[in-house]
Amino acid sequence: MIIARTLMARRGFRSLRTKLAVLYTALFAVALALMGGVGQVMIWTHARGSVQAELAASGTVYDGLWALRAKTLTDTADVLARDFGFRAAVAGGDVPTIGSALTTLRRRAGVDHAVLVDLDGGVIGASGPLARTLSALPRQLRAGRHDAVVNIGGATFRAVVSPIMAPTEIGWVVFAMPLDTAEMRSLERLSAIPLIATILRRDAAGHWVSGNGSVTPDPAVDDLVAGSTTDRPLTTLSLRDGRAFAIAKPLPGPGGRTQAALLIRYPLRAALAPYIPLQISLGLAALIGIALVVLGSIRLAKGIARPIALLDAAARSLEEGSRTEVAVAGDDEIGRLAHSFNRMSAGIVERENRISHLAFHDSLTGLPNRTYFRQALDQAMTRAGRAGEQVAVLCLDLDGFKGVNDTLGHPAGDSLLRHVGTILLDLAPDGMVSRLGGDEYAIILDGGFDPDRPRALAQAIIDRGATPMATDGHQIATGFSIGIAIGPDDGADPDQLLKNADLALYRAKRDGRGVFRFFEASLDAAARKRRQLELDLREAIQTGQFRLNFQPVFDLKADRIGGFEALLRWHHPTRGEVGPAEFIPVAEETGMIVAIGDWVMQEACRHAVAWPDHVRVAVNVSPLQFRNTGFQAVILQALARSGLAPNRLEIEITESVFLDGEDHVLALLHGLRNIGVRVALDDFGTGYSSLSYLRSFPFDKIKIDRSFVTSVAEDKSAAAIVRAIVDLAGALNMETTAEGVEDSDQLARLRGQGCGNIQGYFFSRPVESAGVDKLLQTVFSQAA
Amino acid sequence: MPYRPMMFALALALCLPTMVQAATVTIDVRGPDGQPLTDAVVVVDVPGAGRATPRGPYVMEQKAIAFQPHVLVVPVGASVTLPNRDTVRHHVYSFSKAKKFDLKLYGKEDQRSIVFDKPGVVALGCNIHDTMSGFIFVTTSPFADKTDARGRVQLADVPAGTATISVWSPSIRATGNMLSQSVAIGAAGFATTIAIRR
Repeated sequence: MIIARTLMARRGFRSLRTKLAVLYTALFAVALALMGGVGQVMIWTHARGSVQAELAASGTVYDGLWALRAKTLTDTADVLARDFGFRAAVAGGDVPTIGSALTTLRRRAGVDHAVLVDLDGGVIGASGPLARTLSALPRQLRAGRHDAVVNIGGATFRAVVSPIMAPTEIGWVVFAMPLDTAEMRSLERLSAIPLIATILRRDAAGHWVSGNGSVTPDPAVDDLVAGSTTDRPLTTLSLRDGRAFAIAKPLPGPGGRTQAALLIRYPLRAALAPYIPLQISLGLAALIGIALVVLGSIRLAKGIARPIALLDAAARSLEEGSRTEVAVAGDDEIGRLAHSFNRMSAGIVERENRISHLAFHDSLTGLPNRTYFRQALDQAMTRAGRAGEQVAVLCLDLDGFKGVNDTLGHPAGDSLLRHVGTILLDLAPDGMVSRLGGDEYAIILDGGFDPDRPRALAQAIIDRGATPMATDGHQIATGFSIGIAIGPDDGADPDQLLKNADLALYRAKRDGRGVFRFFEASLDAAARKRRQLELDLREAIQTGQFRLNFQPVFDLKADRIGGFEALLRWHHPTRGEVGPAEFIPVAEETGMIVAIGDWVMQEACRHAVAWPDHVRVAVNVSPLQFRNTGFQAVILQALARSGLAPNRLEIEITESVFLDGEDHVLALLHGLRNIGVRVALDDFGTGYSSLSYLRSFPFDKIKIDRSFVTSVAEDKSAAAIVRAIVDLAGALNMETTAEGVEDSDQLARLRGQGCGNIQGYFFSRPVESAGVDKLLQTVFSQAA
Repeated sequence: MPYRPMMFALALALCLPTMVQAATVTIDVRGPDGQPLTDAVVVVDVPGAGRATPRGPYVMEQKAIAFQPHVLVVPVGASVTLPNRDTVRHHVYSFSKAKKFDLKLYGKEDQRSIVFDKPGVVALGCNIHDTMSGFIFVTTSPFADKTDARGRVQLADVPAGTATISVWSPSIRATGNMLSQSVAIGAAGFATTIAIRR
C-alpha cells in the first residue's frame, strides 16, 4: 500500500501538466487565502470600529440619559424639598403631612421609593434595609454629588438625594429607583442599535456578575470594569449567550466605592450580520476564481505539456531505435525544440545506418562482412529449419592471390578483390555474397533452391575464374577454389556448416586448386586426424621423438660414397613410424617445420662432422624455412657448433621456394654460397621446372626426379629427358644426382648418360646414423 | 461625616485664686483652614452670673438680597427689627424651634419686629430668595458675642471661676452646630484659641 501510494505520488509529479496546474492553483489559492484573510480582518476591524463607534455613541447617550434621569429625579425631589409647606412640616416634625407629601411625590414622579431623611438619620417613608441604607446615604455622598447607585438586598438602586434647606439643611428627600430589567429595557430602547444593557454587581469573591445570570465570573469582565473608570475601552467578551463587543460604565456609589456597573454589549452575531452577504459573495467569487484558474492552468499546462509529452515519446522511440518525427506546431521555443529534435533524429538515424553498415559490411568491396554473414547464416538456418529446407554455404578462395599482391602491389590486389566481388554478385543473384576477409568469400543459398544450384553456381564461378580478369590495367590470371557444405546434412548449426564448407575448400585447394569440392564426412574425419597429428607433432618436438636416417649418395666418378642425404624420421610411441609425407605438410601448415628444420640442421651437421672429409651431408629445406629471415643464422650456428666445413653441407631446395619471391630467395642463396654452403635443386623435372631458375642461380647440383629415373631404362623419352638434364647440368657446371635408382639397368643407363651421382634402394636404403660408418667401409664392388 | 474632637489650647497667662470679681476673656476662633473664623458666636456660661438683659435696638436688615448682619447675637426677650432695605420683596421665615415666624411679602422699608423669647439659634431664610441666609443667636448668657474679622471675641468683666465656653457656627458639624468646653477663668483673665477641625 505504501509502495502504491509512493508510485502514485511519483506518477503525479512526473506529469508536467499536473505539476503546472497544481502550482498555479496553489499559488492562486494562497493569494485568495491571503486576500480572504485580509478581507476577514478588515471586516472584523470595520465591524469592531463601527460597533465601537456605536457603543461609544451609545455610551455617551447613556451617560447623557443617565445624567438627565438623575437631574429629572433631583429636580422632582427639589420641588418637594423646597416646598415651603413641606419644609415647615419637616421642621415641625409633622410626620403625617410628610408621609402624605412623599406619597404624592412618588405618584407624581413615578418613583418607587421616596423618603425623608432627617438630620438625626431618621427615615420617613421606608423601613427595613432600604431605610437603613438610605438614612446613611446623604452624609456618605461626597460634596457636589446628589446621586449614587447602591445595592440593597439583592437589588440595585439608583438613589437621588435632595437636601431640604430651611435655609440650613434640615433633612433630605431621597429617591430610590430599582435598576431592574424593566429599567434596562427602557434604556435599551433609547439606543439606535440593538444593545443589551445589564447591571453588574460584585459577587462574594469580588467578581462582577449580573443578577440574571447572563454574566458569570470572568476575569475579562472584571478587567473591563476596572479599566472603564476613566475612558470606555471596547472589549470582546465571551458570554453565555455568545461573543459580544462590550463597554462598561462603573456606576458611582456612595463614598466613592463602586457597587455596581452598567455593561452594554453588542452581540458579535448582530455586529457581523451585515457582513454575511459580503462574505458569502467573496467566498463565491473565490470559488469561481479558483475554478477558472484550475481550468485555465490545465488548459495552459496542456498547451505546454502536450508537445513536450510528444517530444518525450518521440525521444523514447528514438532511444529504442526507430526513426521518429514530431509534428511541429508554432514557432515558439517548443516549436523550435521540435525542429531541432527532428534534425537530430534524422542525423542519428543517418549515422546509425552508416555505423551499422560499417559494422556489417566490408569497406573494400561493400559486401557483407563476416559478422553480417554469420547473422545471415543464423537466420537462414533458423528459417530453413522451420521450413524444412536446405541451406548451402559456398566458401571461395582466390588461388594465388598472394602472388598478385606481391607482384602487382596492393592496389591491384584490392582492385581484384572488388572485381571478384562484382563477379560473384553477378553470378549469384539468388544468394548472399559476403567477403569473410583476405581473399576469402562465402555465398549463402537458401529459400528452397534447386538441388543442383550449388554445384551449378560453383561451376559457373570456376569457369568465370578460368578467364583472366581485367582489372586496374592488368590481365590477372587467377582461379577459384570452392568448398560447398549443405545444411542441415553437413552441419546442423552455422558453426558446423561453415567449418565443413571450409574443410571442403581446403580439400579443393589440396586437390590442385581451380576446382570445387563438396563436403564429405571423411573430410571431417581427416580434419580430426590432422588435428591430432598436429598435437602429436608438438609433443614430438618437445620430447625428441625425431631422429635422422641417412641415405648414401654414390659418386659414380670417384666410385665412392660422396655424401648422405639426411632424412627425417618420426617414431611415435603409439603410431609407430609416421611417414614424412604424412606429417611434413602439417608441420609446414602450422609453422612447426621451422623448429623441426632447425633441429634437423643441427643434428645433420653434428653427425656429418664425424664422417670422412670427402663425405657431405645433404639437408632438405622447406620453403617456410627460407621465408624465415633467421635461416642463414641457423646454418651458421649449426656449422659453428659442429665444426663442420661449410662445403660439406649441401641444402636441397625445391622450385617452390621461388614462389615466395625470387629476389629474396636469390639473395639468401648467394649469402649461403658465399660462406661455402652448397645448394642443390631437388625434384628437378616436375612442377614448373623453370629453366630460368637455373639461369638465375648457379646451383651446385641438380637432383633428377625419381619419376624419370624409374623409367629411364624402358622409356626412351624419359631417357632423353635425363640425358638432356645431365647435358644441361654439365654445360652449367652443375653436378647431377639421380634419385630412386632401384636396379642395375637404371644404374647402367644413368652411368652411360653421364649422371654424376646416384641415390636409391639399389645402392642402399636410408640407414640409422650408426649404420653410416659400416656403409662407408663397404666396397660397393657391384657399383664399381 | 464623623465628628472630630475639638482641641483647646489653653494658655493660662495668669491664674490667681483671689477674690477678683471680673476678668477679660479673649477667644480666638480658627476655622478648619486655620484662618480666623468670622461670625462664630462665643458664649461663656458662668453659673450664677445672671441673665442678660436686652439693650437694643437689634436690627437684622435685608439688604442686597442678603441678611445684614449675617449673624446677630441677642439676649432672650430682645426685640429684633427686620427692615427690608431692598427694592424687591422678601418673605422672611424661620422654622427654628427657638422662634417660628413667617413674614410674607413685605415691601421696601417695611419693618417688623419680632421678640425672641427663647434661647437658641433661629435660622432665617427668604422664601423668595433661597440664597438668603441669616442667623439670630438668642442667648441667656450676658457673655456672648460673635467673632470679628480677626476671628476674635473679647468679653470683659467675666467673673472668675469655672465656666463653660461654647462656640457656635453654621460651619461646625456638630449637633446644633455648637461645641462646648468647661474652663476655669482666672481673675487676671482668660485667653484661648479655639481651632475648629473638620
